Formats: sequence, structure tokens, C-alpha cells
Amino acid sequence: MPQMSHSLINVENVTKKYQSAEEEVWALRGVSLDVCRGEFLAIMGHSGSGKSTLLSVLGGLIPPSSGVVIIDDLDIYALSAERRADFRREYLGFVFQQFQLIPYLTALENVMLPLVTINWSSRHKREKAGEALQRVGLGRKINRLPHQLSVGEQERVAIARAIVNDPPLILADEPTGSLDTLTGNDIIDLFQKLNADGLTILMVTHNRDNMHHVSRAVFIQDGRVETQEPKAFAAACGLQKSGTGK
Amino acid sequence: MKTWTIALKNLKRHKWKTAFLIFSLAVGVATVLAVYNIMQTMQLELGDYLDEFGANIVITPRAEGVELNYGDTHMGQVIFEMENLTVTDLERIDDIEERRSINIISPKIIADVDVVGQKALLVSMDTRLEFSMKPWLSLHQETGIIAGETGKDLALLELPPNGVLLGFSAARALGKSAGELLQLNGKAFQVAGVLAETGGEEDGLIFADLGAAQALLGRPGEFSMVEISAYCNFCPIEEIVAQLQEVLPGSQVTALRQSALLRKETMDRYAAFGYILSGIVLLVTGLGIFNTMLSFVRERTREIGILRAIGFRRSHLLQIIFLEALFVSIPGGAAGYTAGILISRLAGPFLAQMQLQVPWRLELALPAMLLAVVLALVSSSVAALKAAALEPAEALRFY
Ligand SMILES: Nc1ncnc2c1ncn2[C@@H]1O[C@H](COP(=O)(O)OP(=O)(O)OP(=O)(O)O)[C@@H](O)[C@H]1O
Ligand SMILES: [Mg+2]
Repeated sequence: MPQMSHSLINVENVTKKYQSAEEEVWALRGVSLDVCRGEFLAIMGHSGSGKSTLLSVLGGLIPPSSGVVIIDDLDIYALSAERRADFRREYLGFVFQQFQLIPYLTALENVMLPLVTINWSSRHKREKAGEALQRVGLGRKINRLPHQLSVGEQERVAIARAIVNDPPLILADEPTGSLDTLTGNDIIDLFQKLNADGLTILMVTHNRDNMHHVSRAVFIQDGRVETQEPKAFAAACGLQKSGTGK
Repeated sequence: MKTWTIALKNLKRHKWKTAFLIFSLAVGVATVLAVYNIMQTMQLELGDYLDEFGANIVITPRAEGVELNYGDTHMGQVIFEMENLTVTDLERIDDIEERRSINIISPKIIADVDVVGQKALLVSMDTRLEFSMKPWLSLHQETGIIAGETGKDLALLELPPNGVLLGFSAARALGKSAGELLQLNGKAFQVAGVLAETGGEEDGLIFADLGAAQALLGRPGEFSMVEISAYCNFCPIEEIVAQLQEVLPGSQVTALRQSALLRKETMDRYAAFGYILSGIVLLVTGLGIFNTMLSFVRERTREIGILRAIGFRRSHLLQIIFLEALFVSIPGGAAGYTAGILISRLAGPFLAQMQLQVPWRLELALPAMLLAVVLALVSSSVAALKAAALEPAEALRFY
């Protein structure tokens, strides 16, 4: 890819102000961040530090108050709202903080959701969703409703939904937050496997143990990038990429 | 899975709300359809009525405070002690300028007669003339005709001077049938036939030959009214009436079309009421749908956030909500059509106070469906726009 930056995500000086009647909250106070293709990045920080906000800004869900978000050389907030929806469908897989499965749809149907607006045959959609569920290790139980699944299984359904449309980028908000350690580790393993398959993953997490399983961790405090691990990371993605074992 | 699958699943999940939506649509459509159908049938009926009566004119002697109502309503309280029309008057009618527009001039005597202690209304005229003017009258019974044979055409019936025809209910009230004898003011007449039931004023009358009645009543050469038939749709009725009034200053000349028009006015008022009622019902059902659809959207705020986040466009959300509306409008429209027609068939005759047979009108099925669809879509538009306008990030925080 000549002429293109090697980073997949390029965030420059992004701020986000939440304005309510009584007060204004600066959730992001100037975040700059580069993410390389194939990275498995952890975003860490205290509660209320702005992690979810950053992830939403990166995912095209919340326009920043200032700054630029470029993903795959696309200034996503220069797009119209409808085009940005298309972008989310084609580029992103979301794993939300609360899984956010639709309670009256089966596991399979939940996974099929991102494919609904695509003009494929129902059969093809079902096959794709089935494959995604296989990849997350949930080949059976696909016809169960979310409440008939364990929390870990629900998490897997949410991940299957995020990868079903083969996006290059996964954004996951606290995917292990509500899981016990063992199940949490399984999920991290799953992410590592997906990362090894070439997916770029950004994961918000509280858990410092997860740090050892990712290629880089970024710490956020008060809406700013405080520090990162490894400390000497420079966004020379071409070099970095070979280093992360893709 | 398609957008419509999501719409259908949502409806299935909310059985009561869905049932309410269908019911509301059915009520709206049924009301509009029933009102429309009844009005249309009444209009057709009125058209027939106008056609049947052509442009008849009734001439009666003017009398203080007396309305002689013949040809439209009952004759129960007619007072006959008044001026009579005479043969001279008939000659005058014959002389008017617009005589060429007049088909038939039928003078009559109408009087109370005594039938063995009972009072009955005797109408007498040139019966052949009269019955050719009123082709809808027919014979039920006739002397000399054996049951099962077809009777003579009424207009061809030769009524002998001592013969009478009985209206259907008059015959029943008097207990007389064809061939029997009858005493009118003490004079014997023979029942030459009984008219078939019409449901109209004819049922209660006794018909006799003009000359015989004049003799019986002791009023030779006199008439109590003259009925004039101008069987043309574009006759200058006002003109004829004016000319008749001019030559007969002592009489009252009434065009029967006026009474039909009066009836039309009443009907128009009914129609206005019906359409206002439909409007109100549509508004109320529309509001019900509006609310229910809005509650669907509110309840699914989070779900809509998820869909938007994973790449559903605003237009896809509009699609889902409108598809839900469309799905309920199909059974709603069908039920509304069926109920509307049933109501108009059952209640129509009662409401319109007419003997009408309200038809099934299959051709109204499509407009009924369309009305349901439009009503559902319009009432859902705010909900749909609200769903489309939800910010995905905000919606996701909704828990
Ligand atoms: N819609 C909103 N309106 C107002 N303030 C908000 C809104 N969303 C977030 N905030 C505020 O912005 C700040 C950052 O919130 P954010 O959800 O990004 O934090 P977080 O790091 O994800 O926290 P947690 O670890 O608890 O999920 C917090 O102070 C929060 O109260
Ligand atoms: Mg958060």
C-alpha cells in the first residue's frame, strides 16, 4: 500500500465535551493515538477516565468536540451520518460494555444482525453467522435466546456478532468486566486468536492482568493519554507489525 | 433475516399491542367504510326515487293551514272539506304554454269512505292512466285468475264502474280478497284485484274508477287533486309550475321533485354528520396508533442504539417501524372492510330509514386496505422519525 500511512487508526487531538443543563464534562481533553494494523491494544484507566467515550468516538458513534479521527485513511466524521453507518457495518465490530444482545432474538439471529441490511440470501447469512459462532466456540446452542445462555456464552455471541461481517477492526468495551477470571481468560484467549488471524483489536479493560496478553496498553486519565506500555512505542507501524507476530 | 423479520418479531413479541393496533385500524376503516357505503346506497336510492317519479306535479285546491301530502308521505290527516278542482281547471291546464312538456294529466278524487263501520281512504282516477304513470305497482290477486297464472298488466286492467282495487294492507285490514263484495258508503262494489305490497302509501288505499267515485260521493265533475306527469329529465319544471300557478290562482301547485330535493337535503346533512364522525374516529384511532408505535420505539431505545451502532442506517430504522405499521394494516384493513360492510348492511336500513339492500361492494376492499395502510403509516411517522433520529451512543447508555 504505497502512499498510505501504515497505521489503521490515527487520532489527533480529540476532545469531547458532554454538555448537560447543569454542567459540562470534558470526557476527552486532547487524545492523540495511532493504532497499527494487527495490533491488540488495551485501553486502561480508572472508571470515568473516558475510555468508553474514546471507544465510541473511534467507532463513529460520538462526534468529537474537536480533533480528527482517521481510520484506514478515512476521516470518519467528514462522512454523512448514513455513510458513517455504512462505515460501521463494513469496518467495525463492536463488543459493548453490556454485550447488548437483543433479548428476543436467538444467538444465531443476534449474530446475523449486522448482515440484515446486506443483500445476501438468508441462507448465506445463516451460514456466515454459523461460522462466526463456530469461531468463538459456540457451535451448538445457537438457537437459544440470550437469557438461556451463561454470561460467558453471551459474551461469545457478542463477539461472534462483532466478527460476522469480517471487519478489520474490533472495538471491545470491558469484554471481561462481568466474567469470572477463568471465563475472562478464555475470552482473552479468543481475542488473541482473532488477533492472530489478522484482526486489529482495541479493548477497554480494567484488569491489569490482561496487559500481559496484548501488544500494547494505553493508560487514560482524566481524558488524556497518560502513559503507555511498552513505553518506547512509536507509531512506525510497518516495523511494529512484524514485531506483533502477525 | 431481513428488516421485515425484525419488524415481524417485534409485533409477535407484543401480542396485545399488536392486537390493539389491528383493532384500532379495523375500527377506523370500518367506520369510514360503513358511513361511505350507507351514504352511497342512499344516494343511489334517491336517484331511483327521482327517476321513478320523474317530474310529477301535484295540483291541489288551496286550503287554509292544510298540507295535502300525496305521493311522498302519509295521507292520514288530510282534510277534504275545501274547494274542489273542476273540469274548467283541467281545460286551463291544457292551455298552458308548456303543455308539450306534459305527458299525462290525471285528475283524482280522494275521500274518506265508510266501509261497514270502518273509515278508509278512497282514491279514484282514470286507473289505466294512473297505473301507466306508476309502473312499479302490480297485482297480487285478481278476479278470474287462477292461482299460479300470471296476472294481467295492471295498466291494461279494465276496472268496471262497480269495481275497486284494494291496496295490500287495506285488503288485509278489511279481510277482503279478489272477487268478494265490499260496501262503500252503503253501495256494493266488487273487489277486482289486490295490489302487491309496495311498502308505500298505496298499500292502505282503495282505488276506484273516477266516475263511479264522483257518483258515489255526489261530486260529479269535481276533483280533489290533479297529478301531472312530465316525464322528461330536462323539463323546465319551474316554468311549468309557474304557468300552472298562474292559470290556477286558487290552487296550490307543487313539484314533487321538491320533496325529493328536500329528502336529498336531509341526506346531505346525514352525510355531513357521517363524514364528521368518520373524521373523529380516524383521529382517535390515529392517536391510538401514534401512541402505541411511539411506545414501541421508546421501549426499544437500546435495541435501536445497537442496530445503529452495528451499521443500520437511519433509513433502515424508518423501514422497520413502517414495516410494522404495514404489517398490522393488512389484517386491520381486512377486518375493517368486513366489519364496515357488515355494519352498513345491518344498520344501514335502520339508520337511513329506507328499505335499502346495502351490497357487499367488493370493489371497496382495495380502498379499505389503502385507507388502513395510509392511516397506519401516517400515525407511525412520528415514531419512525424518532427511531431514526436516536443517537446510537445515547441509546446505548439507556439501561
Ligand atoms: N452522555 C453523557 N453525558 C454526560 N456525561 C457523560 C456522558 N457519558 C459519559 N459522561 C461522563 O464522561 C466521563 C467519561 O465517561 P466514560 O463512560 O467514557 O468513562 P469510562 O472510562 O468508560 O468509565 P467506566 O470504566 O466506568 O466505564 C465520566 O465522567 C462520565 O460521567
Ligand atoms: Mg466505560
